Amino acid sequence: MARPAKPKAPVAPGPRAGDDAPLTARELRLARAGRKRSAAKPSGNPLRGGLRLERMPDPSAFVLFGATGDLAHRKVVPALFQLWRTNLLPHEFSLVAVGRRAYSDETFRGQLRASLDQFSRVLPIEASVWEAFAGRIAYHRGDFGDPLLYESLAARLDALDEEHGTQGNRLYYLATQPSAFAEIIAGLGRAGLDHEQHGAGWRRIVIEKPFGRDLTSAIRLNREVGKVFRESQVYRIDHYLGKETVRNILVFRFGNGIFEPIWHRRYVDHVQITVAESIGVEKRGSFYEEAGASRDFLQNHLMQLLALVAMEPPATFDADALRDEKVKVLRAMEPMAPGDVAANVVRGQYGPGWVAGEPVAGYREEPEVDPESETETYVAARLFIDDWRWAGVPFYLRAGKRLPKRATEIAIRFKEVPHAMFKESNADPEANLLAMRIQPDEGILLRFAAKVPGLGLDVRGVNMDFTYGSAFSVDSPDAYETLILDALLGDAALYTRADEVEKAWAIVTPIIEAWAGAPQPAFPDYEAGSWGPDAADVLLERDGRRWRRI
Amino acid sequence: MAPHLSSAGGDGAVVPFGISAMPGEPTLRWAGHATSVAEIERELGRIWALPQAMAARDGAAERHVAARTSVLNLVVVARSPELGEGAASTLAMATGRHPSRTLILVPTDPDGPGWLRAEVRAYCMVPRADAPETCAEQVYITAGGDTGRHLQAIVAPLLVHDLPVTVWWPGDPPFGVASTSALVGTADRLVVDGSHWTGDGLDRLAALAALARPTLPVSDFALMRQARWREAVASVFDRPEFLPYLRSLRRIAVTYATRGGPNAEVSTNLVKPIYHVAWLAARLELRVARPLARVGRPLADGSRPARPGAPPEPGRGLRALLEWDRGADVEIVIRPVISGMPGGTTLRVELLAERRGSELRAEVTAEAESVHVLVWQDGVEALERTYHAPRLTDVDLLTAALEAGSRDPVAEGTLAAAGRLVGVGAPGAG
Repeated sequence: MARPAKPKAPVAPGPRAGDDAPLTARELRLARAGRKRSAAKPSGNPLRGGLRLERMPDPSAFVLFGATGDLAHRKVVPALFQLWRTNLLPHEFSLVAVGRRAYSDETFRGQLRASLDQFSRVLPIEASVWEAFAGRIAYHRGDFGDPLLYESLAARLDALDEEHGTQGNRLYYLATQPSAFAEIIAGLGRAGLDHEQHGAGWRRIVIEKPFGRDLTSAIRLNREVGKVFRESQVYRIDHYLGKETVRNILVFRFGNGIFEPIWHRRYVDHVQITVAESIGVEKRGSFYEEAGASRDFLQNHLMQLLALVAMEPPATFDADALRDEKVKVLRAMEPMAPGDVAANVVRGQYGPGWVAGEPVAGYREEPEVDPESETETYVAARLFIDDWRWAGVPFYLRAGKRLPKRATEIAIRFKEVPHAMFKESNADPEANLLAMRIQPDEGILLRFAAKVPGLGLDVRGVNMDFTYGSAFSVDSPDAYETLILDALLGDAALYTRADEVEKAWAIVTPIIEAWAGAPQPAFPDYEAGSWGPDAADVLLERDGRRWRRI
Repeated sequence: MAPHLSSAGGDGAVVPFGISAMPGEPTLRWAGHATSVAEIERELGRIWALPQAMAARDGAAERHVAARTSVLNLVVVARSPELGEGAASTLAMATGRHPSRTLILVPTDPDGPGWLRAEVRAYCMVPRADAPETCAEQVYITAGGDTGRHLQAIVAPLLVHDLPVTVWWPGDPPFGVASTSALVGTADRLVVDGSHWTGDGLDRLAALAALARPTLPVSDFALMRQARWREAVASVFDRPEFLPYLRSLRRIAVTYATRGGPNAEVSTNLVKPIYHVAWLAARLELRVARPLARVGRPLADGSRPARPGAPPEPGRGLRALLEWDRGADVEIVIRPVISGMPGGTTLRVELLAERRGSELRAEVTAEAESVHVLVWQDGVEALERTYHAPRLTDVDLLTAALEAGSRDPVAEGTLAAAGRLVGVGAPGAG
């Protein structure tokens, strides 16, 4: 069946969609008389009301740069396929994979098929579903620095618009090395692939982290992006924000009436955020040598979690309202003076040790790692938010590799009771603790004091533990599924904005710079399988606190 | 009459472990019997008092069994054993996705003596291979005589405290009967399938619309099945150049399948075709100027064999008139076509809008497992799209209904508009 790519009919003159102005003389008269013109706001489609969950992305082409890379095969394509098999992608869809290697469409599809067998969240892959999906995959070879790539890509996308009815809507996804971002963006711009013309479809770009190496490079990259794309077209991905339990932080805070009143310096003693990994750098030694824990975790995941925990309630759940509040938190954090870094930030690097009953190598013995490396695999920081709500409340953040277990948790430690009433007890009540487990065993734990059964009046801390699995026996979507669908729908709420990225770098860059000017650290300084260097414990002990036992 | 008490029952036992449960597949872990509500309560208590026994395999603890899952109470009223078994098998699959305490009630033999027989079961599953096992209870209750006529008296003591109550009524709910009202009165959500009601379903649709209120949201599978149709229709007006036409809608025509033959007019279920119109009427705040009424000659009867694919005979079906707040009319046509598809299936939705001398015509049709949209502007084809619309199973629909929030403006508005469209004393026997 012929499928027109674009409307064949001339656009009727006059209609001004999204325009609040009355449309006819009669309507103008009614408007002057103060009478409503219609049931629905003229700026929106009234049929959309209540159809949130039924919303289907527009017909679109998904242009994947770095399609032969690990990220594309492990995460992006499996997420797209899962969206396709659950009918969340439009029928008029195409995936255009752009890479440097010489593949035919068929060869590349074969490779993706093999990757899906390995990485798809739901197995087995149904042959008929795959065939329908595979028919929408095209491979486009080229060098990212070659202007001809973008010329030929434009022609191919136009042809695919005709073939698949994708109507000129394009989502560019940069799953490449960060060093290629700028040249791809510039190439897209030169070929006019960024232009959104009336009726010719939208253009969006998703950029993977790391977004810059420091404040200067982030600003430079934002500038390069801004030369080609408007901020509303840009989706900077931090996959942590797509995780079900991270999104649940918002529901937990703002969907429950009892927590927000005590989410305040008056009741909160301190906050701990832990992102622990038991794995090492795996096959990413060369990447990690450049990044380190501060760039890989602190600037993005930890800062995002901190912002979500500390932000004020946004007025609405739309992208800018949410991101405005997160940026306010980051703005309220004073960048550290070089002299303060040593007292507030600890870095570490793992040496050989044992994890989960297995001997493991030290960082410096990992493949692609300099035997004299000074790259940190652990970072812990004591940060403050200077605003009305949080002044004086320390936020202790830590992230590291080769720690005893994999765990991402946020813990709110409340203040102790003002008066020790149970003097006969052999222990004072512990301060209350509210812990949100992001992974694994997603859930929420509240620790409170209870009387030990018996004749005396002994007090013990007990846990009230909610696990997601016990209430909802459904498997959550992968973060990439959530985020890719959001980008296709044009919802940027879970993506980071330029100012957010820059503000986070403004906090982390002085730390990295202070380390560069400091004496060589005595690495390795923690054993693989331990909870990080001793200095991290000292960081809290100085304040009379300690890290939670996880 | 109070439920008949007996010393029997309370014989529940751990079901021996068979093949280990696959992730996502519910497995029967406990089975017991009871002959009174008190025994059911005791049996439910015993399941959770013996967690170690449930976790045992060959005398050794095998897997940590998590606590009972507790998100809602689900009460199913099945007015025949067939419906009850059908519901139980649907629930067995839905349990894994949305566990709840489930009470399946099968009233029977209303004129006999009062009695009750219950099977108490626990189904457990692991969402992922490495996740702890979680379990949910299912109680299948057959009740005869007076006991079966006072379902609310059985249900009330068996509900888990503080959890919402959803009542699922497969088949034909006897709206207007006191016992139905009592049961529905305590519910927080009512789940029905209007497309399976007998007859044309108009009377039941009117009754359901009258029953729905903000505190009792209704999930009708018939309406839920049309999600992709709504998406398809809405998407036409996402385009800025078409949006202004929406407010100049002049005609909505819905074509539905019927098998023809004697009594086809009153035996074809019309709930789904009416929901299409009702949804549009609700979203556009169109008033009902003239409710739906039958027009034209009856469909071909036995003397004129029906042929699938036969062209529609003009002037048949139902007509109504809606109007905009500014007074302009919207003509409603709901017309049958003899088809091999199940009776009452929507085949096509057509919209016609005229604005300043320009015309927009949109046609949404069903094609196997997809919904196809075609739009013409002044006679020129201007848009074509296809939406995947795989047939949803009862498991999909029930799961979606159980997961629905208390606020569903689409269902609320559509049902209210459907009630107005049908009007009191609508033609046809429900």
